[in-house]
Amino acid sequence: MIEVKSLAKGYNGTIVLDIPELKIEKGESFGLVGNNGAGKTTFFRLILDLIKANKGEVLSQGIDVKKTVDWKSYTGSYLDEGFLIDFLTPEEYFNFIASVNNLSKGDIQKFMDEFEDFFNGEIIGKGKYIRDLSRGNKQKVGIAASLMTEPEVLILDEPFASLDPSSQIRLKNLLKKLKEEKNLTMLISSHDLNHVTEVCERIVVLDKGIVIHDIKTQEDTLKELESYFAV
Amino acid sequence: MFKWFLSHQWKELTRSNFWQKSLIINIIIGFFMLIMFSYLVLLGLFIDEILTELYPTGDIFTIFNGGLLYYLGADLFVRFFLYSLPVINVESYLHLPIKKSKILSFILLKSTLNIFNVLPFLVLIPFALKVVKVDYSVTLAISWLVLMLIVILNNSFLLHYLKRRFIDKPVYMGIFALLMATIIVLDKFHVFSLSDYSSSLFNFLAFNPIYIVIPITILGLVYGINYSYLRSRMTLEDINAKKLKKVDSLSRVKYLDSFGELGEMILLELKLVWRNKRSRSIIMMSPMFLLYGLLFYPNEDMSSLGFLIFVGVFMTGGIMFNYGQYMLSWESNYFDGIIASNIDFQKHFRAKYIMIISTVIISYILTIPYVYFGTNVLLINTATFLFNLGFLSMLLMYFSSSSRKRMDMAKSSAFNYQGMGASNWIMILPFFLLPIVIWLPFKFLGLSEWGIGAIGFIGIVSLIFHKSLMKIVIKRFEKKKHLIAEGFRES
Repeated sequence: MIEVKSLAKGYNGTIVLDIPELKIEKGESFGLVGNNGAGKTTFFRLILDLIKANKGEVLSQGIDVKKTVDWKSYTGSYLDEGFLIDFLTPEEYFNFIASVNNLSKGDIQKFMDEFEDFFNGEIIGKGKYIRDLSRGNKQKVGIAASLMTEPEVLILDEPFASLDPSSQIRLKNLLKKLKEEKNLTMLISSHDLNHVTEVCERIVVLDKGIVIHDIKTQEDTLKELESYFAV
Repeated sequence: MFKWFLSHQWKELTRSNFWQKSLIINIIIGFFMLIMFSYLVLLGLFIDEILTELYPTGDIFTIFNGGLLYYLGADLFVRFFLYSLPVINVESYLHLPIKKSKILSFILLKSTLNIFNVLPFLVLIPFALKVVKVDYSVTLAISWLVLMLIVILNNSFLLHYLKRRFIDKPVYMGIFALLMATIIVLDKFHVFSLSDYSSSLFNFLAFNPIYIVIPITILGLVYGINYSYLRSRMTLEDINAKKLKKVDSLSRVKYLDSFGELGEMILLELKLVWRNKRSRSIIMMSPMFLLYGLLFYPNEDMSSLGFLIFVGVFMTGGIMFNYGQYMLSWESNYFDGIIASNIDFQKHFRAKYIMIISTVIISYILTIPYVYFGTNVLLINTATFLFNLGFLSMLLMYFSSSSRKRMDMAKSSAFNYQGMGASNWIMILPFFLLPIVIWLPFKFLGLSEWGIGAIGFIGIVSLIFHKSLMKIVIKRFEKKKHLIAEGFRES
């Protein structure tokens, strides 16, 4: 589904990401962990063609993401608040996203119903602009919008951060369900080893831009990761 | 503790984004400030001569004092709108073991270090030295200046309180202004003379320095009111209160829906402009462009064709320049979202193009009444209108891909040069001059009218080929989008 070939990105001479090869299969749930500055966000930005690589390429379904925009129609993503149009209300934002993706009114309604629990009554119909929402609620808007189009690939940067415990659990269940039912390919980064080992079947550890572990999740994976990050 | 506050404030000031622009712009701003300051000093030096001219009889000092109450009134009014409350970032101190009274006193003292409190003295000090000292005595000059200081501080604190109190009710200020205007009229027709009261009041206080305790007492009182008002409201939600605005009526606009995705994008642009302070204040000032004609048309000296073309471009395109220049910078907050999502750039730019040409068309219609100054004016405005509509609009969109500077949309635009990189400044001028450059060769051949025709013709031709031109614009954007996004991410 997503394939990385000799990808490298650096700023002013310092390498921040260097991945010679990496393949993510369709339906795989791929977890990315690493300390601050490990290159997680940079990696996701490269996959989404938000920044230019110094070298190498990212292929989505075999096509270089730089060359076309076809991948956008089956890729949902939310990296940070920079994705949200902050002067819209959540409803307006969802309508806008629906419109650019050619979804019908019925689709929007279905989506709103599905996410009713996740929103916990704090997002819809509150008469607030996105910029006036709390961080957690902004995050919910972004994550929901990324799933609105029923994508085949989902890319989320630290989706669990700043969510409340119930929402974290709801999100985990949702992601697991989507994986089982829709065979969704997921790329998720997280600082929280618990969450990421629970949701993802494959964990990649980045350190200073280099892949140092690439493991299938098993029972002792959490322990393994904890011992790796222990100081 | 004050030492820390001061050093933090100093750092905030010197590290502010305000200075993070190019050296040249800083120099230009500095230069203008210097000019403004020297004008005030000059005013102070020569105000006695101006007053003698206006009021040949009477004592200058008394006449000057007569204007002071008016000045203080006007000062209150202007400050209410221009002066931003000195809010140190209280959030970062409230949770620390610092006495609230210290934070409060600092906020209030900081409010005295304000340009509105400094500028008057550029006039007052020269006046005191040149007139009061010479006509009366050094002691009077000094006691008068001290009096002025106290009175201005009084005004400063009074306003500080009023503004906190009535910030959402500018209507009171309107009433105040109306009252002032009435008094001025009454004064003019000698019904009631505030200036007489003002003269006697300040003369009395200046000649009897012991009574200066009265304004000092008032000062203490106003300070106390401020203090207790703030004290009772010193929680996070009060002090840095961001009023949660209710959603505006744009959210109910539905008819653009029928235009599908494009309609949705135009609606987005409208919301972008309307719901952000920065863009709204720029757009609100735009209608001023339409008044430029009044400056030039009635004036015979300035009605040479070259001037008229310039005015035409400016009037029919002014709003377009303001919008088009920043059309990408205004999106800097969510630019990543735009390029990562499935938005069709073709449509995205088309929506912006429709916005641009709408402003041009509206401006043109509004300038039609200038035909009063001759059909010549209408012809030139029509030519420049077509040029703006077809050609400059495309050129502007083409160069919008050069923006790299993030803009904080929540701040208003006055004295805010954030996001206005050197490229924006250099960009504006040639745009206005271009039509003149086209026209000049014709003029030298003695075919001025043909030159104006040529300007309009270029506009029409570009309008016909707008689809191909748009492709060029979008191609450049797609090539530059990573650079733009990178620039926007660095705040």
